[in-house]
Amino acid sequence: MVKMNKLLKEQLESAFKGIRISIPEDTRMIIHAKKEQVLTILKFIQNKAYDHLALISCVDWIEEGEFELVYIMSSYLQGNNKYTGKEKVNITLKTRITRKNPEFVTVISVFENAEPYEREIHELFGINFKGHPRLTPLLLEREYEIPPFRKDFDTRKYVEQVFDTIPFVEDKKE
Amino acid sequence: MDRNKITKWLKSPGKMSNKYSLWAIYFCTGCGIIEIPPVITSRWDAERFGVIPVATPRQANLFMITGYVSVKTLRAIIRTYEQMPEPKYTVGFGSCPINGGMYWDSYNTIKHLDKYIPVDGWIAGCMPRPEAVFVAVTHLWTLIDKGMANGYVKYREKYTLYRNNQEKVLGELDWQPLYPTDGKDE
Amino acid sequence: MVIGIIHIIVSPVLALIIGIFFLGLSRKIMARIHWRYGPPLYQPVIDIIKLFSQKGVSHGFMFDLGVILSLTGCIVVILFIPFGALCPLSSSGGLLVILYLMLLAPLAMALSGGEGANPNISIGISRKLILSLGYEVPFLLILLTLMTHYKTISIVELVEIQQDTGWALFSLPLSLSGISYFLILPAIMGVRPFDIVSAPQEIASGLNAEYGSKYLGLITIEHGLSLFIGTALFVNLFLGGAHNPAIFFIKILLVFILVLFINAVFPRFRTEQAIKFLWGVPTLFAFLGLIMSLIFK
Repeated sequence: MVKMNKLLKEQLESAFKGIRISIPEDTRMIIHAKKEQVLTILKFIQNKAYDHLALISCVDWIEEGEFELVYIMSSYLQGNNKYTGKEKVNITLKTRITRKNPEFVTVISVFENAEPYEREIHELFGINFKGHPRLTPLLLEREYEIPPFRKDFDTRKYVEQVFDTIPFVEDKKE
Repeated sequence: MDRNKITKWLKSPGKMSNKYSLWAIYFCTGCGIIEIPPVITSRWDAERFGVIPVATPRQANLFMITGYVSVKTLRAIIRTYEQMPEPKYTVGFGSCPINGGMYWDSYNTIKHLDKYIPVDGWIAGCMPRPEAVFVAVTHLWTLIDKGMANGYVKYREKYTLYRNNQEKVLGELDWQPLYPTDGKDE
Repeated sequence: MVIGIIHIIVSPVLALIIGIFFLGLSRKIMARIHWRYGPPLYQPVIDIIKLFSQKGVSHGFMFDLGVILSLTGCIVVILFIPFGALCPLSSSGGLLVILYLMLLAPLAMALSGGEGANPNISIGISRKLILSLGYEVPFLLILLTLMTHYKTISIVELVEIQQDTGWALFSLPLSLSGISYFLILPAIMGVRPFDIVSAPQEIASGLNAEYGSKYLGLITIEHGLSLFIGTALFVNLFLGGAHNPAIFFIKILLVFILVLFINAVFPRFRTEQAIKFLWGVPTLFAFLGLIMSLIFK
């Protein structure tokens, strides 16, 4: 298993310049890449039988002024029939984008099931994905000035402004 | 339990029958609904109190709101509550409807459910045990006896205030007012 | 004449009392089978009083009319079934009339369900009519067998003949028909495994989805009456019926408890599985019973 990872690591490092790969455990590989290389790296990994996009997530590094997008891929057992349950490998791909007017390209052309994940990230973090067919709200109902999952969204102030100002019904004497 | 005292039945059959046949609507609000199936099934039997789950709000007269209430769920809760026939009783189950509970500083949950629909009793806990449900049912019987469980009367009388609160938190409501409002805004 | 009017009033009232007792008994026995205490035996009385004291909503005139019509349909069928020695309309057709009056109740509910604007009601009605299509075929064959063997269409005469010559279930050409009738009895009464008409988890209790306070009270009464009709018809046609009302009551109690045991054990069929069963083994048995009764004159 570790042999497979090293082979994949060498292939990736020879195909792309400027990426950094670390293998913290036997079954995980983390790739740090620049944002222009993301689509080509994803296609490359998809051709190596890692064709299941498990999750797209986002981290808010507010001190450095950047968002970090995280793509997690794993492989179905049919593509790679040497895998048993213990030896499944997850590949994580991380990129950084700026925090002011964040924009990114959508990966629907490579993995079609990325649509709801990107919709959720757009609603909760405010990142605009170019080329996404529908970026309508998925979970929330109302408009927020600052998207709620960012670190500079003050939840207690929001609760005091919106929910605590509504009066109890007993208070008013008719 | 005074279910077998015939004189009380003859004096006020409506009140006694409302006590001993509370049909709870099976509306799975939040995370607390996982505590309702043990109450209904064999070990802690709720049917000996007369409480059975029914499928539609038109047949029910007890509404247990189990768990946290998000803004989208509040829409469904208000529509369900307004379809139930009177007299109807609501019980807040868990600590989230009381004052927000674990989600007291969340941007999307309702902190005090009392502002939007009238609630007759609360059960504290996260989650309460099934025995707490039975204590709540017996307390509700005492309240009905004394005539203090009149949340639906309060809803009818102060409907303008409730509807104003609902509109403030939900935006535009797409159902007609249940009772005719005077047109005066308070 | 006066005796006739008293019979017409007393018979549905007795059926109502027995029906409500059956409702309470069913909940108690099901609870004991599940190893728990159940509600008291008079719980349906409490439910009906509560339902009539509520203030509900109505959807229009047809909505009210349909419920009243379906309760009327049930009561009219009861007037044709002898209860011990008590049969109000004994000289008016018997089996043939019951055959088409038993469909009045669901059709009247279809009339009122059209006004209630809920698609669940339409699904419930269509399931009820499809289930009726399923059990009517063996039911017709069984009644035809009875009518040709005993050469009469009046239920009271059938009871008299069986009192003399023994139960129809144990007489040779009719035992297959009796077994077939017992196999379709859960479908006529609407208990599991043919519970698809009012399936609370699937279609929000089907027929009863929009009915609130007093309508649900009337529907509960009608459900109790339909339990009585199902068991009483079986007892009168195949188990002899009785002159003494007490023995009649014991017989329908035993049949009801047997059907309740079947209800406690089985899950629910899908619609096509129910029709496949009802047109399979019971129809075959009823058909064989018909042929045998023609052979063994």
